Amino acid sequence: MKKFILLIAKILLTLLLLLVVLDWVYTTVYLHSSNRGKVEKVFNSKARNYDVVILGSSRANNHFVPELFEKKGLKTFNYGMSGAHLFEASLMLKLMAERKYQIKTVILEADLGLCNEKESEMIAAKFLPYIHHSKIIKEHFSEQKDFKELYYIPFYRYVDFDALIGFREMYQTATNEPTNILDNLGYHPLGHKPGNMKNDIRALKPIRNKYYEEIKRICKQNNYNLITVMTPMCTNVKGLDYFEKANKIYPEIHNLENVIQGDQYFSSCGHMNDKGARLFTAVVIERFFNKKTADTNINGIF
Amino acid sequence: MFFNSLTFAIFLPIVFLLYWFVFSKTKTAQNAFLVVVSYYFYSFWDWRFLFLLLFSTLLCYVTGIKIEKSTKERERKFWFWLSIIFNLGFLAIFKYYNFFAFSFSEALNNIGLKSSPLLLDVILPVGISFYTFHGLSYVIDIYYKRIESEKNVIDYALFVSYFPLLVAGPIERATHLLPQVKLKRSFDFEKAKEGIYQIIWGLVKKVVIADTCATYANAIFDNYTSMNSLSLILGAVYFAFQIYGDFSGYSDMALGMSKLFGLDLLRNFNYPYFSRDIAEFWRRWHISLSSWFRDYLYIPLGGSRGSKLKQVRNVFIIFVVSGFWHGANWTFLAWGFINAMYFLPSLLLGTNRNNMETAELHWDFNSVKVFFSILATFSITCLAWIFFRAKSINSAFDYIEKIFTNGTFATQFLQNQRYSYELLLLVLAFVLVEWNSRYKIEPISGKYSWLKMTLCILSIIALGTYADYKEFIYFQF
Repeated sequence: MKKFILLIAKILLTLLLLLVVLDWVYTTVYLHSSNRGKVEKVFNSKARNYDVVILGSSRANNHFVPELFEKKGLKTFNYGMSGAHLFEASLMLKLMAERKYQIKTVILEADLGLCNEKESEMIAAKFLPYIHHSKIIKEHFSEQKDFKELYYIPFYRYVDFDALIGFREMYQTATNEPTNILDNLGYHPLGHKPGNMKNDIRALKPIRNKYYEEIKRICKQNNYNLITVMTPMCTNVKGLDYFEKANKIYPEIHNLENVIQGDQYFSSCGHMNDKGARLFTAVVIERFFNKKTADTNINGIF
Repeated sequence: MFFNSLTFAIFLPIVFLLYWFVFSKTKTAQNAFLVVVSYYFYSFWDWRFLFLLLFSTLLCYVTGIKIEKSTKERERKFWFWLSIIFNLGFLAIFKYYNFFAFSFSEALNNIGLKSSPLLLDVILPVGISFYTFHGLSYVIDIYYKRIESEKNVIDYALFVSYFPLLVAGPIERATHLLPQVKLKRSFDFEKAKEGIYQIIWGLVKKVVIADTCATYANAIFDNYTSMNSLSLILGAVYFAFQIYGDFSGYSDMALGMSKLFGLDLLRNFNYPYFSRDIAEFWRRWHISLSSWFRDYLYIPLGGSRGSKLKQVRNVFIIFVVSGFWHGANWTFLAWGFINAMYFLPSLLLGTNRNNMETAELHWDFNSVKVFFSILATFSITCLAWIFFRAKSINSAFDYIEKIFTNGTFATQFLQNQRYSYELLLLVLAFVLVEWNSRYKIEPISGKYSWLKMTLCILSIIALGTYADYKEFIYFQF
């Protein structure tokens, strides 16, 4: 039995050693990458200057065209991430502030995401490689239920989210395989595919969201002008009063849900196609960045 | 509680330590402890089915003794058939009733008689096909006076419910496991080490090969109408490796952990994808089930004795029943039927026992023949797996048709954002490792075992698929 216990001890030691080494290798790879995703682009960057930064979910990522802002002379990047909740948007903004980003205006898409304070695993996982290298990330995750495992067990986060930051992603990062995430200044255009143009959002209930409150606080502390908007949905949506309810809780949010009408401008019910996104961006620029009209709006909420 | 879960990783060491340090004094203590933890293990799925397991155990235990003690043939037959009817009755109710009720109703509807089936709202108790077969073989063996009945209820309960084999086999025989259970086990370092190696290799098969292949196979089978020819072929190949890695990985883990408790279980897989013909494949795939059907169905039906027609009938019966054992679905029946068709030529030509030795490859002409025989056997096996995996027979035929008609043989970017090439390399590496260790139970033991074990652990943690958690396929049977 003694020999067996020794064998098990050796196996466990080997396992622990492998976990530590692999953790170090994976983390090192991710620490040296900045061309595959928006999280690493921010984390591995130094101070940047922007006139406009866009944050939010896919409804930000697919709806704001930075190229149109740039034409107006506004240096812009769309940091919206498909699948992201306000949990990740807030963390992204914290990292930008920590890196001393000079941002004049933050446009935050906060509509359907207002109804929950959960993390979005598929996006939150992208921050996890850096959890030991950033106090901000560590603190942001500290209230999550699996924080202890993720933080204290070496390599656990890479195993738990293997499809997102596991071997394949690490290998592609190490070999510098490009993605299209950072193309078009972060904007991801969608095509028109006649599909399911109806949605039911009656079950969603907007709440006083702590991550939205956090974003407001960060903007105030760093003198970022914050414009929060709700973006369009297709015509056939059940429960459209959601946007009004959200507005009752947060009157400062600009309800732009109905500024683009017609399903020809949509790729799916919650996402506009490129044509719709360009029209929508033009409306946003006109409303908030046009010298004549902006004076009444650009003050935002602060 | 799955073998590859964190809960089980905590459960197993605790059971191991208690078994060897607290309950190792007597055989009874060892067995009683294993029965208790086995029932605890089973209760993780659904505690209500513990009663079914207990009833099935007591039924076979009591009827076994009654059969042995009965002096009159009528009495013996009564107890024998009571056990058989109850055991098969459970299977029929839980596993097959809804299928037959639905099929019957559909048949009536097809001939114009409107009917709606009376379906039962029951879930299939995990492992029922396995522990029912344990009990059946035990009672049949007593009836035919091959073994004596077991008088110790704890020993018998352990034979039926021993947790490594409880939910997905291997299907044990009383002649093999009961004699081991009757003896007090002493700790054997070599056996335990072998067990650890087998568990690790089983985990590699499950989380690295099966679960990764499953990601691709599922994506392809679920979207087969839009996949091109090469993707569809890859889908079938990936599923072949998924089901092999999944089930043989489970069996390896079961055999390995049983060795930790000093008990040897029946070998279930012997490198089936290196078979040169379908008969050899069936001697190497799910051996405990194949040999069960051989001993308790095929041979009683006459086996390979009698006229050719009778032999052909027996082959079809055994394969179709074997397919049906897997589940109440026409696809499994079709899978069994196809395998019977594959087997038929070798039966008629008398070549079904040609390849009894493990395949060898050298630099000669004969090896080319061996290589292509292996490749051909694997190909037809993959074709049959399409029926096993498909949702219906129609979609299986549709899938096969699309292999020939869905345009180009160019590779395709799958929906799950991963290329297939890297998985093909992984599968190829797995095949090479298996080929090199085909004379052993697992590839870790022998020279450089420490290095090989480290590589296995490395591949489990770095290459395993964990996010898309997948159950063991055979748990549903």
